[in-house]
Amino acid sequence: MGRCRRLGTIFFIMAKIGLFTFGGGWSIIAQMQNEFVDKRHWMTEEQVVDYMSLAKSFPGVMIINMSVFCGYAMAGVSGAAAAAVGLSAPALVSIALVTYFYSSLRDNVWMEKILCGVRSVVVPIIISACLKLRKTAIQGRSAYMILAVTFVICVLSEINKLLVVGAALIAGLLIWRGEIPDDLS
Amino acid sequence: MIYLRLFLSFMKIGFCSFGGMTMVPVINDEVLRYGWMTAAEVMDIVAVAEMTPGSLGINCATFVGLRTAGLSGALCASLGVMMPSLTLSMAAAHFIFRLKGNKFLESALRGVRPASMGMLAAAAVTLGLHTYFPEGAISWNMILIAGISSFLLIRKKLSIPKTILTAAVLGLIFG
Repeated sequence: MGRCRRLGTIFFIMAKIGLFTFGGGWSIIAQMQNEFVDKRHWMTEEQVVDYMSLAKSFPGVMIINMSVFCGYAMAGVSGAAAAAVGLSAPALVSIALVTYFYSSLRDNVWMEKILCGVRSVVVPIIISACLKLRKTAIQGRSAYMILAVTFVICVLSEINKLLVVGAALIAGLLIWRGEIPDDLS
Repeated sequence: MIYLRLFLSFMKIGFCSFGGMTMVPVINDEVLRYGWMTAAEVMDIVAVAEMTPGSLGINCATFVGLRTAGLSGALCASLGVMMPSLTLSMAAAHFIFRLKGNKFLESALRGVRPASMGMLAAAAVTLGLHTYFPEGAISWNMILIAGISSFLLIRKKLSIPKTILTAAVLGLIFG
């Protein structure tokens, strides 16, 4: 496939994902793994999982960081730019519309009901991402330990994710020390 | 020069925050300092960000930019808030790509992967408590919608956009 065509596809898919990103952005993970790993094989599941934690621990907007990481992996610097701009384009249009109609939308009963539906579905989307990626992400007993500790810390505290990811990184280095076993039990 | 100021302010907001609600205090400081918005309007942004797709950071930049300097203002502010991603994350992506296959990077990433899952699962729990049990009450209609859409999404493999649209319709019925 031509380079321009790939960039165009990245842009439009990211715009589509941007249009359906509600509730804090974690739902983007499931959509990206579906479009770029399952459908197109432009990335691996490992990459999605790796970039997710990096995107969350870097400053700035998590979903834009995620687009940059994935766009770069698929098509270099221009891929990263295409992905980031693509993701933000729908926001620009929808904010313009909502700002214009804000006062009438704010107290609208139907709008309230639609949002109630949309808000309800964010958690199932995140869970579906967890279910899909768990085999790739969790290999071996030590991995379960790291998962459990991270989960408890993140549920109970508002800790900066940079610290969590940094600690996990060091734990990985200490546990595996550059040796990747062949048996992934 | 309003455009440059919008760009720089939102660049600062981007670098000083880690997404989501952590952005609100930083946004508050910046937009109040220049008198771009009132405190009440900042709270409106959070409401608008909930109504529209996309993250709070981008939505907020667009909203403030649009209010203060029209469409070009919105573009400048959005570009500003994207700067950390376009610099730091881009550099990190390059670095990781270079080191691909390095044994030590692989070991480190094997530690980071389960942590990713932990964070994702924790986000589901925190958001779930907030959504389905608002202020101690139980929101049965939202749990019902979540149940139906989980079934469609996970068992019936319905795509995410279609699931969201279905949930919106369910919201009109049960909401």
